[in-house]
Amino acid sequence: MSVKHVLTTCPYCGTGCNFFLQVADGRLVGVVPCKTDEISLGRLCIKGYNAHAFVQHPDRLKHPMIREGGQLKQVTWEQAMDRIVKEVTRIREKFGPDSIAVLASAKCTNEENYLIQKLARAALGTNNVDHCARLCHASTVSGLLYSFGSGAMTNTIPEFDNAECILITGSNTLEAHPMIGARMLRALDKGAKIIVVDPRETPLSRISHLSLHQRPGTDISWINGMIKIIIDEGLVNEEFVKQRTTAFDELKEVVKDYTAEKVEATTGIPREKLVEAARLYAKTEKAMIAYAMGITQHSNGTNLVKAMANLAMVTGHIGKESTGLNPLRGQCNVQGACDAGGLPNLFPGYQRVDDPESKAKFEKAWGVQLPGNPGLTLTCAMKEAMAGKLKAMIIFGENVMISDPDLGHLEEAIEELEFLAVVDIFPTETAQKAHVVLPAGCYAEKDGTFTSTDRAIRLLRKAVDPPGEARADWVIACDLGKRLGSPGFDFSSPAEVMAEMASLTPQYAGIDFGRIDKQVLRWPCPTKEHQGTRILHTQKFTKGLGVFAPVEHAPPMEEPSEEYPFILTTGRNLFQYHTGTMTRRSPKLEREAPEPYVEINGSDAKRLGINDGERVAVSSKRGSITLKARVTDRIILGSIFIPFHYAEAAANRLTNAALDPISNIPELKVCAAKVAKA
Amino acid sequence: MMREEHGNVAPALISKGEDVGEIRVDIPYQLITILETIYSWVPKGKIAVITRRCDEKALAELTKRNYIDEKRIIKIGLACSKEQIAKCRCSDPVPSKVDIGEPNEPVPKDDLSERLAKLSPEERLKFWVKQFRKCNKCFACTHNCPVCFCDDCVLEERTFVPEQSIPPGLSFHMIRSYHMIDKCIECGECERSCPAEIPLLTLRKMLAKDMKEVYGYVPGDPKAVSPLNTTLEGETLEDECDEC
Repeated sequence: MSVKHVLTTCPYCGTGCNFFLQVADGRLVGVVPCKTDEISLGRLCIKGYNAHAFVQHPDRLKHPMIREGGQLKQVTWEQAMDRIVKEVTRIREKFGPDSIAVLASAKCTNEENYLIQKLARAALGTNNVDHCARLCHASTVSGLLYSFGSGAMTNTIPEFDNAECILITGSNTLEAHPMIGARMLRALDKGAKIIVVDPRETPLSRISHLSLHQRPGTDISWINGMIKIIIDEGLVNEEFVKQRTTAFDELKEVVKDYTAEKVEATTGIPREKLVEAARLYAKTEKAMIAYAMGITQHSNGTNLVKAMANLAMVTGHIGKESTGLNPLRGQCNVQGACDAGGLPNLFPGYQRVDDPESKAKFEKAWGVQLPGNPGLTLTCAMKEAMAGKLKAMIIFGENVMISDPDLGHLEEAIEELEFLAVVDIFPTETAQKAHVVLPAGCYAEKDGTFTSTDRAIRLLRKAVDPPGEARADWVIACDLGKRLGSPGFDFSSPAEVMAEMASLTPQYAGIDFGRIDKQVLRWPCPTKEHQGTRILHTQKFTKGLGVFAPVEHAPPMEEPSEEYPFILTTGRNLFQYHTGTMTRRSPKLEREAPEPYVEINGSDAKRLGINDGERVAVSSKRGSITLKARVTDRIILGSIFIPFHYAEAAANRLTNAALDPISNIPELKVCAAKVAKA
Repeated sequence: MMREEHGNVAPALISKGEDVGEIRVDIPYQLITILETIYSWVPKGKIAVITRRCDEKALAELTKRNYIDEKRIIKIGLACSKEQIAKCRCSDPVPSKVDIGEPNEPVPKDDLSERLAKLSPEERLKFWVKQFRKCNKCFACTHNCPVCFCDDCVLEERTFVPEQSIPPGLSFHMIRSYHMIDKCIECGECERSCPAEIPLLTLRKMLAKDMKEVYGYVPGDPKAVSPLNTTLEGETLEDECDEC
C-alpha cells in the first residue's frame, strides 16, 4: 500500500494553479488543492478538480503505431523511430530541410519545447517550427514587441485583487481563466469597477459595473474612440506620455476622426457608455486591462493589440502595481512554448534567427550550422503543404484537425503530406491522419516546467508512470535528435535541459529546478541571485521608449452578406477545454457540456422560426455543421457563437483562414455564416 | 497530517517507521475529506489522523453511517489557534482530547448571521442572490466537504440543476444547504475553498440554528440520530438511505 500527494501544476489554462495529485498504489484517485499556493490560494475550478480524470483513461495511446494498408498497427519503438528517421532523411535529401516542419506544443513543458525547437533547427536544419500560439496570441507577441519590446503580461495574477478598475475585453475570464476571474470577483467585492467589452454576455459581464457590446471585428474603432475621449477630456497622463513614450502626435492625428457618432455607428456601443468607460478607466489610479482571443484572433490582430497598448500608455496605466496590459494566455504552457523558442523566427528568449549575433551564439552552443532564414508559421506551413511544397511534418501534442481554421482545406493539406508523425496522449483526429503515431506521457507522468500567463515558472512533478510503453516527449525528442545524428541531445533529466536553456535564454538565466522547487519566480530572472520580476516596464520599457502605433479600424476580411447574414464568432465554455481530448474523457466535465451548440439571439431565432434546443445547420462559404440551437439574449442581434471544442460539429469547419499579415494569426473570431433549420 | 514540502504545506500519509518530516499544523487542510478518498486504499491496520474538534465531529457523522470503521482510527487532537477560531467563527473549537496546541475560547457568534437575521426576508434573499451570482460551479463546496459522501450527487442531476448553467440557479446552493442540514459540522471548508468567497459557512450556521431550534438536533454527536433518519413516530430507520 502506498498513498502519496504530489504537488504539481494544472494542465489546463495558463493561470498555473498548483495542486496535489492523490496517488494510491499507482492510481490517480483525486485532486487536493494546495492551500499555500500563492496563485490558486487553495482554490481550483471544475477543470482543476477533475485534472486527474483523463490521465489513466483506457483510450490513452500505449504503443507506437505505423500505418499499414490504411490501418495504424502496433510496432516497437525501434521500428517506429526507424521509420521516422528514414522518411525524414529521405525527404530532407530530396527536397531540402525546409520541406519539413515541426510543431512544438503548448501542452509540453519548457524543456520539451526547447528540445523540439532544437530538433528542428539543429537536427533537421530548418526554422520551420511553430505551435498553436500562432492561433491564440501570435498577434500579442508581435504587437507588444512593437509597442513595449516584450510580448507578455506586464503585471501578475495576484495584482487583480487590488485593482480599482479592470477593463476586460475579448476574454470570458470566469469560464476560460476561472481563478483569474475569481481574483476579479475579489476586486469587485472590494469595490472595484469592472468594465467588460464583449459581443456576448459573460458570467462576469452580468455582474460588472459596465457591460458594452461591440459588433465583432470593430474593436479598433471603440479603442480609438476611447482614446479620443481621453484626449478631448484632458485625461491624458501628459508626464508619462512625454517621458516614457514616442509618436504620440501620430496617434492623436489618427484618433481625431473617431468621433462618438462614428464609433457608435461602427461598433453599436452607445456613446454615453463609451464615455463612461473611458472616464472610469482613465481616472482610476489602479486600472488594469485584461484581454484574450477576442482581441488577438483577427486579420488585423497585431494592430488591435497595438491599439490596446496605446490605451494603456496614454493613461500611464503601466509599469506600476495593479495596472498594465495583461494578455491572458489560454494553455498551460503557451507562454513557455514561446519563451523556449517554439516560433519560426525566434530562438529561445525571443532572439531573432536572422540576427547574425544570435545565430552565432546558438551555433557555438549547439555545435552545428544553423539556418538564418525565418521558417514557416503554422498557418503558412499548412498553405505550403496544400501547394505540395511542404512534404513532412512532425507534430508534438497538437490537434490541428480541430483547432485550426477552415478544417476542410486543412484536412486536404494534411493529406497532401508525404509523411506525418504525431506524438500525442490520445488517438486525436490529427493522429488518425498520421503515418507514425508515438504515445506520449502527460503532465502527471513527468517532471518539467510550465510558464504561466504571468511569467511564473512552475514545476511539474511526476506522480505516476506513463501507460504501456508511452514515453515523455522530452525522451522522444532526445532520442530523435540522437538518431538523426545531431550532437547535443544527451540529457538524463528535464533539470539538465533547463540548465542548457537557461544558459542561452537571458530571461531564464537565473532559473534552475532547485530554486523554483520552493519559490515562485517570474521572468525576467537574469541571475541565480535575482528574485524574478513581477512588474515589467517600471522604469523604462523593454525597448526603451514605448511606441504609440497609429492604427486604423479595418473591417474583417469577411462581412455578412445576403447569403451569409450572420457574424459567427467562436470561443470556449467553462467545462470543456480546447479540442476536448482531455475534458471530454473526464465524466464530470463532459456531463456538464456534452454536446455542441450555437448561441443565437432570441429575435433572430424567432424570425427564422427556430426554437431553443432545435437542431440547425450553420454554414459558411467553407462548410456546414449541424448542431443544437441555444436561443438566448446573451448574444447580440446578428451574431452567433459556437464553442470550438466539439469534433462532431467542429466550429472550425466554418471559420476563415484569413491571416493577419504581421503575425499570421487567423481570423477565428469573425466570419459570415447562415443558420437554417436542419 | 500536514507537513512542509516544496515550500508549501502538504497533506501526507506516513507509514510506520517512515520519516515524518517537518510537521505543520497551522494550515487547516480538511484531512477527513482526504481520509475518505484514500480509506479504501488502506485496507487494514490503524490510521492516525490529526483531528480538530470539527474533524472529530465529521468522523462521528461518517462512522455512525458506517463509511469509516471507528476502531481503525486513532485521533490526535489538535486545539485550534485563536486566529483560526476567529476565522471560522467557531463556537466549539476544543477536541475531546488535546494532544497538540492549547485550548482556546470559542467565538460565540457570527456577525454576518446576526446582521442577516435582522434583515427582511426580501433583503436577505437579495444578499444571497448577489453572492450566488458569483458562483462558477467549481463544486469545491462538495469536493472538499468531509460529510458530503453520496455516491450520486443530487447537484449533478439535471432534474434539479440544469447542466452548464453558470452561475447555477438559487436551487444549487439551497439544495446543497438543506441536503447537508443534518450532517454539516461547520468546519468552514466550503467557505475557505470557494473561489468566489461566498460566505457559505454563514449560510450553514443560519440553517444549523433552525435545525437546533426545530428538532433539537446538532450534527457531530456520534450517538444522536438525525431526525431525517427517523420514522414519523421518531424511531430510527433501519436501513439508512446511502444517498442522503
